[in-house]
Amino acid sequence: MPLNNIKHGDTVLEAKGITKRFPGVVANDHIDFEIKAGEVHAILGENGAGKTTLMNILFGLYQPDEGELFVGGENVSFKSPLDAIDLGIGMVHQHRKLVPAHSVIENIILGHPKAGKILDLKRAEEEIHELSRKYGFKIDLRAKVWQISEGEKQLVEILKALYRGAKILILDEPTSALTPIETEMLMESIKTMSSEDLAIVPFITHKLPIVLGISERVTVLRHGKVVSRLKTSEATMKRLAREMVGREVIFRVEKEEVERGAPVLEVENLSALNDKGLTALKGASFSIHEGEIFGIAGISGNGQSELVETIAGLRKEQEGKIIFNGQNISHTSSLERWQAGIGYIPADRIDVGSIGEFSLIENILMNYYFDEDFSNRGILDYKKARKLTNKIIDEFGVATPNPETTAKCLSGGNLQKIILGRVLSRKPKLIIADLPSQGLDVGATEFIRNKLIETRGEKACVILISEDLDEILSMSDWVVPIYEGEIMDIIPGEEAKREGVGAMMAGVKLEEARS
Amino acid sequence: MRIAGYKLTLAKRETLSGLQASMISVLAVLTALLLFSLIFIQADVNPLEAYKEIFDYAFFNSYGLPLTINRFIFLLLSTCAFIIPFRAGLWNIGMTGQLYAGSLSAFAVMYAFGVKDAKSAEYPALIIIPLMILAAALGAMIIASIAGYLRGKYNVNEIVVTMMLNFITFWLVSFMIKDGGLFMNPGGRGESFELPASLYAPLYKGVPFTLIFALGFAFFLHWLFAKTKLGYQIRAYGENPTGAEYAGISTVRIPLLVFIMGGALAGLAGYHYFAAVPGVYKIARSYAFLGDLAFYGIICGLIAQANPIAAIPVALLFGGLTNGGRFVQGKMHLGFGIDYALLGVLMITLVAFQFFYRYQFALTKAEKESPDV
Ligand SMILES: Nc1ncnc2c1ncn2[C@@H]1O[C@H](COP(=O)(O)OP(=O)(O)OP(=O)(O)O)[C@@H](O)[C@H]1O
Ligand SMILES: [Mg+2]
Repeated sequence: MPLNNIKHGDTVLEAKGITKRFPGVVANDHIDFEIKAGEVHAILGENGAGKTTLMNILFGLYQPDEGELFVGGENVSFKSPLDAIDLGIGMVHQHRKLVPAHSVIENIILGHPKAGKILDLKRAEEEIHELSRKYGFKIDLRAKVWQISEGEKQLVEILKALYRGAKILILDEPTSALTPIETEMLMESIKTMSSEDLAIVPFITHKLPIVLGISERVTVLRHGKVVSRLKTSEATMKRLAREMVGREVIFRVEKEEVERGAPVLEVENLSALNDKGLTALKGASFSIHEGEIFGIAGISGNGQSELVETIAGLRKEQEGKIIFNGQNISHTSSLERWQAGIGYIPADRIDVGSIGEFSLIENILMNYYFDEDFSNRGILDYKKARKLTNKIIDEFGVATPNPETTAKCLSGGNLQKIILGRVLSRKPKLIIADLPSQGLDVGATEFIRNKLIETRGEKACVILISEDLDEILSMSDWVVPIYEGEIMDIIPGEEAKREGVGAMMAGVKLEEARS
Repeated sequence: MRIAGYKLTLAKRETLSGLQASMISVLAVLTALLLFSLIFIQADVNPLEAYKEIFDYAFFNSYGLPLTINRFIFLLLSTCAFIIPFRAGLWNIGMTGQLYAGSLSAFAVMYAFGVKDAKSAEYPALIIIPLMILAAALGAMIIASIAGYLRGKYNVNEIVVTMMLNFITFWLVSFMIKDGGLFMNPGGRGESFELPASLYAPLYKGVPFTLIFALGFAFFLHWLFAKTKLGYQIRAYGENPTGAEYAGISTVRIPLLVFIMGGALAGLAGYHYFAAVPGVYKIARSYAFLGDLAFYGIICGLIAQANPIAAIPVALLFGGLTNGGRFVQGKMHLGFGIDYALLGVLMITLVAFQFFYRYQFALTKAEKESPDV
C-alpha cells in the first residue's frame, strides 16, 4: 500500500490536470491539487465551482475525463469508491447517507469489507471504541442513528471512514448542519486527527471563520479552475471571499427600520407530536406582525421543525390554534395554506424541497402547479413555467446549463437557490425559512439574507430558523430561543445578547439567563 | 478488453435519450431471438425458418393477424393499467382481478336485460353496449380502488392487496359461471352464457372497435403525463412522495386515483376479450389463461419504461409472439410450451439489457492520448 510509510509533510495525494465535463458544463477544468500528510487542506469556491465534483473524483465516484491521480507517488485510477477505500481514502458526503433505524455501530460496519466474514460485533465495538478514544470522539455506539444529533451523525460518518482504514479523509460541507458548539467539537477532533501523521483532511466549507481557524492551506476554485492557492496564515476573510466570488462581500446585513404593521400570524398554545409520537412542541404562543423577522434559535431537534411544519400544514396540531390574516387556518390543508399566502422553505432540500428526477422547470412548478395563472382547465402552462424558471435562474444566479437540467445534477448550493427563488417569487405574506442559507456560498448567503430582509418592506413577515446565532442576531426583529419544544423567551432584536440567547438554547431558564 | 489498439471499457451513462433507449430494446429483442435459436437448433429445426413462420403467421397471415391484433389490444390495455399506478411509484399486480371484475360487471348488464334466457331476441345494442363498457370500467375500478384506498389512507402494501383481490375475483368468476352460477351457460360446460349476435361489439374489417380504446388511451396517457396538472401530480408523487406532500399534493388522493384509472383500463381489457373478440363472446372456460396474459402487462410496462407510447410496439411484439409461438409449436411439432419459453427468454434478455440504460461501452485508443485543447 502506497500510504503505509509516509511521514509528516510528504505529499500523499496529487491530482494533475483533472478535467470533468458534464453536459453543458466543465465542472473541473485542468485542476492541479495536492495534499500533504498531517495537513488540513480547505477547498473553497462559490456554489457550483466544482468542489464536490473534484472530491468525488478523488474518491472514485466519478472518473475524470482527463488527468491523473497519484497516491503516495503511485499513478492510480479508480473504477469505483471501493478502489479508493482500498488505498485509504475516505469520504463524508455533503448529503449524509446513514440508515436512521440502525444503531451507530451497525452503520459503521455496514458495507465494511470485513463485515461479511467476521461480524464479530464485540470485537468491532472494541476497535471502534479504541478509534474514537484516540481521536477524542464521544459517541454512544449503541444508540440508534435517529436518536443522535446532526453533529454526532457527522462523527459517525467520520468514524465509519476511519474504521475502513482511511488515511485521507474528505469532508464535504461537514459543518453546514451543525450548531456552533458541535462545530467547535468537530474542529477539535479534526485537529487531533491531522496531528496524527496519517490523517489528512481536505475539507470543503462555505464558513470562512472555520476555514481560517483550522486549515493550513487553502485552494480556491472558480468555474472549475483553481484561481488561487495560499497558506491560511496569509489569508483573511475578505480576501478569501473576494477570491471565491470575484467581488467584495460585506458580511453585514443592512436593515432599515420598518413600521410594525397588522398581525399576520397568531399562534395560540400550539402543541405537536414528532414522527416518533412524542410531544415535540409544547404550547407555543406568539404573534408576528407585518414587517417582522421572527428568528427562532435552537439546536436542531428541539421542536423547531415540528413548529414550522405545523404552521405549514404538514403536521397535525395536537392542541392549539393557528390564525393567519385573522382567520383560523388550523383545519386547512397545506395546499390551502400555500394559496392563502404562506411560503415554506424546508430544511431538507433533497428529500422534501425538490424532486431529483424532475427538471428545474418542474421543480419550480412544485409551488406553482396549483396557481390559476399556471394552469388552464387542468393543463399546465409549461411555457410560462419555463419563463419563470429562467427568471429565477437569472435573479438568484443559479449555475446550470439550462432549465431542463434535472435537479439532481445541480450542486447543493444551486439547488438551495432554486428552492429559495421558487418560494420567494410567490411573494408570500408569511415566509417560513428553515435553514435558508445552508450550503450557500458567502455571496449567495449575503444575497439571500438581504432578500429576506427586503420582504419586510413589502408588508410580509418571516419565521427564520437557524442554528447560526450570528444569522439570527443580525437579521431578527424578535429573537426566540427554543429548547426541548418550549419557547424560552421572545426577545426584541436589539436587546438580544449572544450569551443569554446561547444559554437559553441550551436550556437555561429565563430568570437565570437574564441575571 | 483490448481490440487492435483500442480499449473497450464500461462507463456509466450520464444521459439516455429516447432514441438510445429504443435502440437498446431493439438490440435486446434481436439478442433474445438469437439465443432462442439454440433451442430450435436443438430441436432440429432451422431457426430462420421457425422465425419466418412465427412472424408470417403473427403479422402477415389472414388467420393469424386478427388473433395478434386482439391480443395486442388486450395487452396494451393491461399495460396501460399497469403504467398509470407505476408512474405514481405503485405496483398494480391486479390487472387480472380487475379484468375479471370488469367482465362480470359487463355480463351483469346483459343479465339484467334478460339476455341469459332469451338469447335469440333483438336487443337495443346502442344502449346495452355502452352500458356494458361503462359497467366493465366501473366494476374494475371498484375492485382496484380498494388497493388504492388502503395504500393512500393506511399505507397498506398495494402489491399484497391486488394479489389477494386476484384470487378473490378468480373464484368469484368461477362461482358465477360454473355449476348453478347466475351467469352459467345453459348447456353447462363451465362457461358463461353467450352474447346474442345483436350485442357483438362492432367490427371494422374484422377488428373490434376496442382497438380505438387501446390506442386512444395510450396516446391520451402520454399527453396526460406530459401536459396536465394531474399528470404532474402523479409523477411528482411517484418520484418523491415527501416532496409531493410538501407541494400540497394529497398523498391519499393520488394512490386512490391512479388505481381507479388503471382499474378502469383493465376492466376494458376484460370487456374486449370476452365481449368483443370474434369467436369468444362469453367468459370462456379457459378464462385463467387471460388472467395470466394480463401479467404480461407488467413486463411490457417495464420494458416500455412506463412510457405509454413505447408500450404500443412492445405490446404488439408480445401479442404477436404469443400467437406465432403457439402456431409453430403445432406446425413444426415442437415440445409443449415453446411459446412460453420464447417469451421467457425475451423477457430475461430485455431485463438484462436494462443494464445498458445505465452503462455503456466506450471504445478508446489504448495509448495514452495527449489532452486535446
Ligand atoms: N451528475 C451531474 N450531472 C450534471 N452536472 C453536474 C453533475 N454533478 C455536478 N454537476 C455540475 O457541475 C458543476 C459543479 O458542481 P459541484 O457539485 O462540484 O459544485 P460545488 O462546488 O460542490 O457547489 P456547492 O457549493 O453548491 O456544493 C455544477 O454546475 C453542477 O451543476
Ligand atoms: Mg458541493
